[in-house]
Amino acid sequence: MSKDVSIDPDSRVKEPSVSPEPESTPGPTPSVSRPTVGQAAAARSLPEQVGHTITLENMDAYYGQTRAVKGVNLEYAANRVTAMIGPSGCGKSTLVRCINRMHEEIPGARCEGRVLLDDANLYDPSVDVTAVRRAIGMVFQKPNPFPTMSIHDNVAAGLRLTSKRSDDVGQLVEASLRGAGLWDEVKDRLDTPGIGLSGGQQQRLCIARAIANEPEVLLMDEPCSALDPIATLKIEELIYELKQRYTIVIVTHNMQQAARVADTTAFMLSGELIEHADTEKIFTNPDDSRTDEYVTGKFG
Amino acid sequence: MAELRHQFHERLAELEVQALGALDLVVEQLDRALEALEQQDVELATFVIADDDRIDGRYLEVHQGILSLLALQAPVATDLRLVAALLHVIKHAERMGDQCVNIAKLIPLVGNEPPVVPELLERVLRMGVAARAQVVEAKLAFQDRDVDLAADLSRQDREVNRLNKEVFRMAVMAGDSEDKREWAMMMTMVARALERVGDNAVGVGEQVIFVETGLFREFPVDTPPV
Repeated sequence: MSKDVSIDPDSRVKEPSVSPEPESTPGPTPSVSRPTVGQAAAARSLPEQVGHTITLENMDAYYGQTRAVKGVNLEYAANRVTAMIGPSGCGKSTLVRCINRMHEEIPGARCEGRVLLDDANLYDPSVDVTAVRRAIGMVFQKPNPFPTMSIHDNVAAGLRLTSKRSDDVGQLVEASLRGAGLWDEVKDRLDTPGIGLSGGQQQRLCIARAIANEPEVLLMDEPCSALDPIATLKIEELIYELKQRYTIVIVTHNMQQAARVADTTAFMLSGELIEHADTEKIFTNPDDSRTDEYVTGKFG
Repeated sequence: MAELRHQFHERLAELEVQALGALDLVVEQLDRALEALEQQDVELATFVIADDDRIDGRYLEVHQGILSLLALQAPVATDLRLVAALLHVIKHAERMGDQCVNIAKLIPLVGNEPPVVPELLERVLRMGVAARAQVVEAKLAFQDRDVDLAADLSRQDREVNRLNKEVFRMAVMAGDSEDKREWAMMMTMVARALERVGDNAVGVGEQVIFVETGLFREFPVDTPPV
């Protein structure tokens, strides 16, 4: 399966390859190859898309001496939305930032354990960190378009680094904006600054920017907490569509949002994973009494 | 670890008290219906019929309260199960109230000096006592979330069902006189109403188990003969 996993940087940047096999070749191939964003946009209604599984094995994360995540084992199933819930400081954001190796960028922070994208360990010393972050896209709490760039350039920003031909870039920008449900709203003003969009549009622009890089997995760290209810519902609709193509992990403080968008929900408390089950189970009949107490608002 | 949805939980507790209070109203109605039956008190029977409005009113109150909670508070997990269970409880109470009315409506029909078969009437009244005990116990089981007590309701129900069958057999043998057969027929209808009260009490017990475990377990119920 490792050949389907794009942590292999070979096809995009001139760096040593982790994987012995080259990434999928153009044209029809017998292997399960992921379509480009352009193809994917055309094939948005296709039911079957190959997603990738993320598996966490004994994850520990530290800030200096503080252990913020404690021995978490968790599998994010392919093409499913998994919500991470739990009170502030429970380690859910930290855990998610371990997945795309952002946690280690914080001075004094480190983590232990294994993160597998399908079968490939993202913490293997031979793995290129840039490739990991390209394979695992992230959307943040506050929309953060590049303030000096146009709408078009915001989406194309990641593509420039990967030396795409300019006509390809135009296509990919359109496909990404369509994928993020923003194209119709911005197609006539692609050259205007991204910062001029509304908050909800800016967030969808950031999602477009993330999917332009053709990631395998999308991490969303409270993507709607700065948005109004309508913009929130638009993003939630989008998440539902995006999961046809990506594996999605969403950190949210809004339990109703978790209930609406997630297939499975994981509840964390004090750095530990307490319970991970189908969302319906978590919100109707959780196994652990602490989960019950949290979702019913008995503490938080 | 402070309680965070204080107002919501207070309102939910209130609704539970209201819904379980409807079972107290049922017990009152049942007591009066049985007394009216035993004394052949037609006037008391009309009170029972009139007072069913109180139970119906309570049903509407609790139902509306639950709709509001669902719309405004989006209850989940244990809270959600309790809300769903209360909807069932109040419906069971409403139906038990209707059975008391059914009994009360039969009383004027049997006439002033009905040709009573004492051992048959004794069985019906014994059924009434047993069904009343079931309603009281159902309320207690729900209030205390007592799963064992809730499960005991189906054991008690077997006795009510057994008496019901006995009443039916005795009615068949009630004798040659048309009056007597007619009276006995009415008694089977009273017995049937009491048997239904017992079944509804068992239904409340099933909700106790649902609230506590999240599982719906239908208790085995003997099939009534009629």
